Amino acid sequence: VTSKFAAGAADLLVAALMNLYVYCLSDEVTAGAVENVVGMAGARPRLVEHAGISAVASEYDDEKIAVTRENVLAHERVVRRVLTETTPLPFRFGTIVGEARLASYLDSQQGRLKAQLERVRGAVEMSVKIIWRPEAKEIEAAGGGDEAVEAGGRGTRFLLGKRRELLGEGTMKERAEGVSAWLGRTVEGLVRESSVSLRPSENLVLAASHLVERSRLADYRAALGRAKTERPELHFLTSGAWPPYSFISVGP
Amino acid sequence: MADEELEQLLDEERELSLLETLDHVLNRGLVIAGEITIAVADIDLIFVGLNVLVSSVETAHEVLKERQQKETSGE
Repeated sequence: VTSKFAAGAADLLVAALMNLYVYCLSDEVTAGAVENVVGMAGARPRLVEHAGISAVASEYDDEKIAVTRENVLAHERVVRRVLTETTPLPFRFGTIVGEARLASYLDSQQGRLKAQLERVRGAVEMSVKIIWRPEAKEIEAAGGGDEAVEAGGRGTRFLLGKRRELLGEGTMKERAEGVSAWLGRTVEGLVRESSVSLRPSENLVLAASHLVERSRLADYRAALGRAKTERPELHFLTSGAWPPYSFISVGP
Repeated sequence: MADEELEQLLDEERELSLLETLDHVLNRGLVIAGEITIAVADIDLIFVGLNVLVSSVETAHEVLKERQQKETSGE
């Protein structure tokens, strides 16, 4: 009996010292949602409950994690499984923490975390990236072609080149803002929140994330489908539904 | 478009899907202070990958769509 007790105590000690890989948080997830999914390093995720919030986590016997295809997909697989049941707050990839530290985090942040859960409840994130490769003649029109630059001296070439660079950047920025406003009108009334990042660099790139009610996903997808036919000069990359990675503002 | 070329484009689509996942899981989400144990050199690299891949994947979709339409019409 004594040796059994000692072995049990040793197991508890090992478990207490072992790190957890944490996938996401929810106040609605059930143990059944993750019982058949394989997590990081082949471990089975479980719920760690504190302060009315459940963290989905699995045992992880290391202090570091590599960004490999296998690991990234394991993280996403578990969070996505929870997303089929409810909308969780996903952790950033690579969150490894001891159980006591996790409990302390849930206790100290419970108010903010519950507010975040309310913010995303019943919704999912949809991603839209728009890429536009302008015609070469449009860039030349912004500041003269190569011939004009080559004809001048070194100083002229520098100034003309600089002018073209600035005008080109200005045009791209205006176009990016125009596309952003158009996209905003396209999804108006269909999204709960938007987060848009303009990247008017060499190619115009706009990255938008939309928080969409689950019940409105079909309408949202239909609106984007119409938008694609409306602007054939734009390349669209749409993806989702995602857990609400872009709508979390509880940081360190 | 040859089948090999099409297969390559479909591989790129799978790669694109991974890039989208990386874009979400590496750059965003909840953070517990001091508990992230990876280092990502430059998230913009993901956007470079997206730029390169997105047009070719669209082309692959168009080709597949045309093929399906031809098959449906019995050409």
